[in-house]
Amino acid sequence: MIRNADLYSMATTGLNASNKLLATTSNNIANINSEGYVRERTEFTSRLNGGVDFGYTDRVLDVFAQNQLRRDTSAVGEQQAFYDRVEGIDNILASEANSISESMTRFFSAIQTATDDPTNMVSRDVVMGEASSVLNRINQLGDYLQDKEEEVELQIQDSVKNANSLINEIANLNEAIQVAQGNSTVDTPTKLLNQRDQAILDLSELVAIEVRTSSTENTGLVVSLTTGESLVMADGSFNAFTVSGDPDYTNRQLSLQTTYEPPKNNTTINVLEQELGGALGGIYKYREQVLEPAQRDLGKLATSLADTMNTQNKQGMDLDLQLGSDLFSIADFSAINYPSNSDLTLGISGRIIDGAGSLVTSNDYKVTVLTTPSGAPATFDVEVASVTTDGLPELDSNNDPITETITVTAEKGTYNATLGGIELEFDDGSNYAIGDAFLIQPTRLAASNLTMATTRSEDLAFAKPLRIEQSINNLGDASLISTTISNSVVDLSFANPLASAFNGTGGLQDVSESPSATFGAPVAVRFTDSDAFEVLDSAGQIITSVAGASDLNNLLAQAKANGNPAWPAEFSALDDYPGYDFSLEGEPIAGDEFTLEYNTNGINDNRNAIEMATLQQQDFVRSGNDDQANTTTFTEAYASLVGQVGSAAAGAKIDLAAATVMQEQSSNWFESTSGVSLDEEAANLIQFQQSYAAAARILTTAQEMFDTILAAAR
Amino acid sequence: MRITTNLIYDQNLRSINTSQGNLSDIQTQLATGKKLLNPSDDPVGASQVIRLNEELDKITQFNRNNDLATNALELQETALDSINDVANRARQLTIQAGNGIIGEADRVAIGAEIEQLRNQTVDLMNSQNASGEYIFAGYQSATQAFEFNPTATSNQIVFNGDDGTNTMQISDSVSIQTTSSGKTVFEDVQARLNFSFSNISGVSFDDYSIKNQGTFDQFHIENFDPVNNANNQYQFDIISSTQIEVTNLGTGAVVDTLSFESGEVLTYQGIEMRPVGNPGDSFQIDLNRPEKHNLAETLNNLYLALNDSSLTSQEFASVLDDTLVGIDNGLDKMAREASSIGARLNIAESVKNSLLDNEVSNEQARSAIEDVDYAAASTEFSKQETALEAAFASFPRIANLSLFNYI
Repeated sequence: MIRNADLYSMATTGLNASNKLLATTSNNIANINSEGYVRERTEFTSRLNGGVDFGYTDRVLDVFAQNQLRRDTSAVGEQQAFYDRVEGIDNILASEANSISESMTRFFSAIQTATDDPTNMVSRDVVMGEASSVLNRINQLGDYLQDKEEEVELQIQDSVKNANSLINEIANLNEAIQVAQGNSTVDTPTKLLNQRDQAILDLSELVAIEVRTSSTENTGLVVSLTTGESLVMADGSFNAFTVSGDPDYTNRQLSLQTTYEPPKNNTTINVLEQELGGALGGIYKYREQVLEPAQRDLGKLATSLADTMNTQNKQGMDLDLQLGSDLFSIADFSAINYPSNSDLTLGISGRIIDGAGSLVTSNDYKVTVLTTPSGAPATFDVEVASVTTDGLPELDSNNDPITETITVTAEKGTYNATLGGIELEFDDGSNYAIGDAFLIQPTRLAASNLTMATTRSEDLAFAKPLRIEQSINNLGDASLISTTISNSVVDLSFANPLASAFNGTGGLQDVSESPSATFGAPVAVRFTDSDAFEVLDSAGQIITSVAGASDLNNLLAQAKANGNPAWPAEFSALDDYPGYDFSLEGEPIAGDEFTLEYNTNGINDNRNAIEMATLQQQDFVRSGNDDQANTTTFTEAYASLVGQVGSAAAGAKIDLAAATVMQEQSSNWFESTSGVSLDEEAANLIQFQQSYAAAARILTTAQEMFDTILAAAR
Repeated sequence: MRITTNLIYDQNLRSINTSQGNLSDIQTQLATGKKLLNPSDDPVGASQVIRLNEELDKITQFNRNNDLATNALELQETALDSINDVANRARQLTIQAGNGIIGEADRVAIGAEIEQLRNQTVDLMNSQNASGEYIFAGYQSATQAFEFNPTATSNQIVFNGDDGTNTMQISDSVSIQTTSSGKTVFEDVQARLNFSFSNISGVSFDDYSIKNQGTFDQFHIENFDPVNNANNQYQFDIISSTQIEVTNLGTGAVVDTLSFESGEVLTYQGIEMRPVGNPGDSFQIDLNRPEKHNLAETLNNLYLALNDSSLTSQEFASVLDDTLVGIDNGLDKMAREASSIGARLNIAESVKNSLLDNEVSNEQARSAIEDVDYAAASTEFSKQETALEAAFASFPRIANLSLFNYI
């Protein structure tokens, strides 16, 4: 039995319900373009005694789709951040105008041309011009990479700021939602939920995160890094990122800082930057895998090229008839203090050992003080460890860390040679303490800081400083096949163990100048038989004699090894004395004499230029950082730098494409569930309009029924 | 799957974007003719191109070196050819001067021509290249290679350079010598090997000369000791009216016993002499240290002899012998140098040809890596163009479909 009053109340609830449905539909249509909007549905249940209940509006959401979308957004964020930056370096390396290899080739070609006529000032000027052009290319690329390094620091700071404000927002929304939920048990606070989801999605673009519902608070969400560290707790507390440089202030590291209310103590949690995911992780990955290695590889190439050219030029004689000097100057570098050091004003400086360019690696070095300084000048042990750009130890072929323990003399002006062709100066004497550690980056800024040591084209040492003259009275047919100059360091005090037999004033040392009290430097070889010879000094004294020589190669080395009387001890005490040698071919006859003299006026000599030009084909750049000192040519080293950046960019391009496709999929999935379809809403609109009309019709029907009853009773 | 409104727009936009991106890439490839635009397009290829470029640039440079080396060698060849002509003319004149019926006036006339030839030779030995460097001066190319000093007592033409020779690289592995030192080519020429008398006691000579230079040369080469001069001294003792004993003073050994008749021809190792003496007399023959004279010096000596009327015919004949041997040795030395230059020119030529092959194959390799295949690229272009057009055409039609249009 239906009572009339029931009809009224049913009609009212029906009208209300349809109204509410129309409102939800309209809201969906209105929000079609709102970012982060999730379509809503109002659901009703019928009341026990007829009519429809108040209804409950909720978002249509698939949590799995949402989580997938967040994960894929992180992946795209990471790959996009990585690719955008790598692409920059990739583009700059692509442009031929910047190609270092091309300018190196032009440089060596210019030397080749100059070998035709070493006295020609125009071709010397061209060589000098090409040298500075190589330098400009290297400087430019070095500066570009350095700019990128600074840019990365700023980007990290910005991203961290963004991430922190999002973390803060999520924490606040967590709280707000809890409050809103507590106030009304009917409707969910969809607006706040949408906001929170949007903030989480934005955060997932910056860092890879995991989102779970809290086990204690129903509506709270717990956000943590994929590596496990919590970012937002359900109760509204959160951890913020902080950046610090340890020890390299230009090289920011990330950590998490808790923000507990007192009295709970705050702590710092370290995070693995490269594992971070998202845009931040992408930037770190770019910095550690592409930017820093590229910077150091370029620095290594620059250092090795400059050092090799310097060494060769120093073995020659320039157009002013002086011994050659440096063409390029390689900048010194200073160490960075670790923050835990006893005194942060302590310092170490370092430089590349002359002639050790092919030992230079692209690694950094950590120097740790092992013993307390003692004595004057202070001496102590330090450990030098080869470390990669992310601070991990470099391993040798047996997978052991590459380290060296050396005893250093801490004194200004004293350089202590160590790994990787570098030498270190400890200028703070006895102030170092056990445990003090320093980071040395020999190649990081080497490319930007390389400069020309000279711009005078006369300083190109195309000639060799020595010529071998065959006496015109020689009766044998022995003739010169090669002259080698291995050392032309001038130091008449012989404090430098590298001192050579050149006297620095256009000659070879006589008795008064040489390290020996009895003999001058060897300046002549006289044969006493076809396989026996004497080595003479400038006064004609026989320094030593060699008998039974099996060949005529490197006669002075033979005299040094087999001479009788023995080679003077003062000569042997030096590392490379006299620093020159020569080889003959043919059959000498007793009495034949070959004299060695400074190449005075030998301006047309191109021997050193030829050797300089052939450096292009020789291997001088370390190809790896381990203990296998393999080397490659300059061009090869540059090609491998380009290849490395290129393959990083190519890989990033593919990864980005893959991540984008994944994100499209999950976005489609999510959209397919939670997106608004206008067609669907149009249909709903008609449906709910009709249900509204029908509910209204119940009202008129009830009215008519009542009227009918009244009329019947009248 | 439920299709939402945003999904339709997003998907269309995305496919239009993708097509436009692809189209723009292919367009750049077509416009530049290269398919390798960035190292990331083909990292391995990009580093190969760098190496191939270096290789090709090097080949260009080696070809330039080759031309420069060839020029330098041809310049020397020309100078040597000219000197060769001069020397041959001088040789003719020397033989003419040796003709017995030539008188004093004729000698002077020949002397005048020899003087010209000598000057020409000195000039040619001081040849300069385009930038004014003395090509035969060794490393000291700013110094005049040979200097003529008529006031010096001997060796009036002096070499001022050094032994230095330059090389040039004409390929990765081949370098050729591009200069020759005047010391090697002109200065290091053996003069005629000779002997002299000393310690003559009681012996006089009616006549002496080296009749058979070949025999004497062989004897000299085999027995000359550059260190211990006593080994070069042979004492001839007349031990009886019919015998001479020859003793080497260095070893003290009697090396030979010759039959002797005073005033008659005595032949020993190509030397013919007519010693006049009695038993107990002796004389000594010393092998002269080999001397080296350049061609100009030889001609100068001849010129001086032709103008010196005080010379005996014996002395004059000796000068003519010296000159002929000197010219022949000089010609021989130059011929050796010329053939060495010829060989080097041949090497330069063949290296150039083989570099040409390398160049072609390197260029092909580079082209295969970085050049665009126009047929494939334009086909791809049309394909992407069609896709984009289709997207453009279909998008508005899908977008226009809405239920709202029907209510």
